[in-house]
Amino acid sequence: MDKPAPEKADISLRVPADGAYVSVLRTMTAGLAARLDFTVDDIEDLRIAVGEACAMILPEAVAGGDLEAEFRQTPGTLTISVRVPTSGRTEPDYESFAWQVLSTLSAQATASAEDHLLQITFTTDSSLALSRGLPGAGA
Amino acid sequence: MPVVGDSDPTGTSGRPDGARERNALLFAQFHDRSISQGSRLAARDGLVALHLPLVEHCARRFRNRGEPFEDLVQVGTIGLIKSIDRFEVDRGVEFSTYATPTIIGEIKRHFRDKGWAIRVPRRLQELRMQIGTAAAELTQTLGRSPTPRELAEVIGCSVEDIVEAIESSNAYSTLSLDAADDGGDNGGASMLEIMGFDDEELEQIEIRESIKPLLEALPSREKRILLLRFFKNKTQSEIAAEIGVSQMHVSRLLSRTLDQLRTSLQETV
Repeated sequence: MDKPAPEKADISLRVPADGAYVSVLRTMTAGLAARLDFTVDDIEDLRIAVGEACAMILPEAVAGGDLEAEFRQTPGTLTISVRVPTSGRTEPDYESFAWQVLSTLSAQATASAEDHLLQITFTTDSSLALSRGLPGAGA
Repeated sequence: MPVVGDSDPTGTSGRPDGARERNALLFAQFHDRSISQGSRLAARDGLVALHLPLVEHCARRFRNRGEPFEDLVQVGTIGLIKSIDRFEVDRGVEFSTYATPTIIGEIKRHFRDKGWAIRVPRRLQELRMQIGTAAAELTQTLGRSPTPRELAEVIGCSVEDIVEAIESSNAYSTLSLDAADDGGDNGGASMLEIMGFDDEELEQIEIRESIKPLLEALPSREKRILLLRFFKNKTQSEIAAEIGVSQMHVSRLLSRTLDQLRTSLQETV
């Protein structure tokens, strides 16, 4: 737990596309971010961002579908993707409150709609790494 | 069981002294190992009853904090019973002096446990408070929000614990309006969906308020008939018998009064 994260460490998590499992993702995110030396404030932002991203895509998920989350960690940065299977093509709602929050809390957020898939990806930097003037460098 | 209570030899002393004597007597019985278990328990009951006003007094200090007064008295009474069981007469301290902190402690614990939306283990609640203090200090010294690792070093626990405690503080925080309900049972209902809306009955308030003065202005017999018919739910025949007029007359009076009310209401609105 106290060793810095390896260079490449991607994590995938698949849970039922149901609001009840969002808290699992949030907890997972918090655990990873703590490992990457994100500050407590960063972690709180990340938890909210995950919740909002899920709030945007979950209503579009087909019944019985799975919510897939992917966590890509590099020193000082965490990139999270969440996606659900949709029926047909569902455009993300860029006017929604959830998107406003998400884009404010993350360094970069993108949403992509493909046939039968809605995905949101966002990247957050550790403010510790940023304050040291070493974006992307190890803590 | 010996008779207790009005055994005050002076007889004329005020109530506080009487209560004090009674208190001493009951404690003597409660601790008297030579009498039967039943008598000792009866003395204990007597002590609880005697000091119940103290619990109410303590509970009153915590009124208007969102918990029912009765609940506070109930948990406070647990504190009272604990202090009765633990009180040592030989120490020469007043019982109320000894019991008050215990009672208040029990009430405070009730608030601490109930204040959370979700019951969180006390270990985490306490750790969360430690984190709050440490985080404030570290934010000052570092000039930024601390990392869980830094917090863990200061507090002397693992990073894991910090994450867990922060997670638990979620039990206090709020969700996005769009976020789905975590409850699971009816999963998927967003906060927005379960939020309140204007009660349709709201309009009725206006009508009710406008009708009040009109009702006041009615002759007393008419008022009485309305009351009996619509509030006491009596039949016209029952009303007729009660007032001493015919059922037909009650019917006429009722419809006339209602008509009157309706017209005056339409004029005012």
